[in-house]
Amino acid sequence: MNYFPIYLHNLFTISSMEQDVLTIKQKINQYVLQNTFAEKLKIQDDSLIFKEGYFDSMGFIMLITFIEEEFALKTSDSDLIEENFESINAITSYIIRKKSKQ
Amino acid sequence: MKNKRPFSKDILIIEDIGAECERIVTGIRENVLHRLHRIGGVIGISGGIDSSVSMALAAKALGTENLLGIMLPEQDSSGDSARFAQKLADKFGVKAITENITGALKGFGCYIRRDEAVKKVLPEYDPDHYKMKIGISNSGLYTNLPPLFSLTIVDSKSNQQSKRLPPNELRQIEAASNFKQRCRMSMLYYHAERLHYAVIGTPNKHEIEQGFFVKNGDGGSDIMPIAHLYKTQVYQLAHYLGIPNEIIERTPTSDTYSAEQTQEEFFFQLPFQQMDLLWYAFKNGYDPQEVGIVMDRTADEIEKVFGGFERKIKTTEYLRMPPLSF
Repeated sequence: MNYFPIYLHNLFTISSMEQDVLTIKQKINQYVLQNTFAEKLKIQDDSLIFKEGYFDSMGFIMLITFIEEEFALKTSDSDLIEENFESINAITSYIIRKKSKQ
Repeated sequence: MKNKRPFSKDILIIEDIGAECERIVTGIRENVLHRLHRIGGVIGISGGIDSSVSMALAAKALGTENLLGIMLPEQDSSGDSARFAQKLADKFGVKAITENITGALKGFGCYIRRDEAVKKVLPEYDPDHYKMKIGISNSGLYTNLPPLFSLTIVDSKSNQQSKRLPPNELRQIEAASNFKQRCRMSMLYYHAERLHYAVIGTPNKHEIEQGFFVKNGDGGSDIMPIAHLYKTQVYQLAHYLGIPNEIIERTPTSDTYSAEQTQEEFFFQLPFQQMDLLWYAFKNGYDPQEVGIVMDRTADEIEKVFGGFERKIKTTEYLRMPPLSF
């Protein structure tokens, strides 16, 4: 009999890439919650955080600065488009793409 | 909305400008004399359209003998501001004095604190050889991303360098620069209290609703006679009141930083005529499709502009709040 629960088995076999994605999402999620005072349930990975108006100009530049410092990357002006920042999912993909080019 | 007129480029034109002018004049008189219990008014005059129209209205309401215009230049002010302000005061027969606030600003460390932040971003900046300004990207209006501020320095040969402003430096430059509006407010109140006058504020509808003012600075006054008017309407009043043409034709500037800068590049992102119409459409619940046809934009673009307006109202609410008590 296998006493190892399936969900734990899945967790232990998760790839390092998937782990990276999870870690980045968690960090961005935590940052958004701490800095926008939004309700936790309203900030999902696919929530359109800019369309919903959680960030103004100051909030946006603070988010960019957080990403640059936390993930040791440099954003160029051409990176600052909605496709890269509209949600936690989009930001995560952007960070992974950016890191893979470093 | 009931009886809503079709959206058009003429929707903001005041049909009976004389009656509107009279309504404002009566409002100033009634409020200054009978609610504020003051015997006249002081007004900061910059040679810009808003303060010029406000001064002309106040002169009609209170009498030129009960109105004091104050020019409040500092070392970064354009020379045009004083020249136009004096011309305005002369035309309307209003007594005008100059209070240069450079010394007070130096006392607050306004320039030193601002320049310290500027040098952190662009180390070659030297205030003796460069002018500076901050502004926003105008790509921001038709996207859901808010615009970002950048710093620009200009040398004596008009060579420019610009860089995106990080948050700490942006806040320090803004906070230091806001000493200017707060010094002006203090000086206006000095003269108002000395004369038992009210301070007449000059912001228009956009500036208040979009948060383009300094809390307890140019936002600090006793009465705001044009706070309900769009900039287009302020210009309409300017023509009616006979404001000098040089003032009417002058591009609205922030006159806050040493390098020249229009209000459009600093804050509004659009010429005021377009901004007025979009803001009116947004505030009055017009359909983005209908607005897009008139403004030659897609409904999606108009929706994004409206989204940006909502964000602006939300994020600048703090500026309009009175001190909280509980």
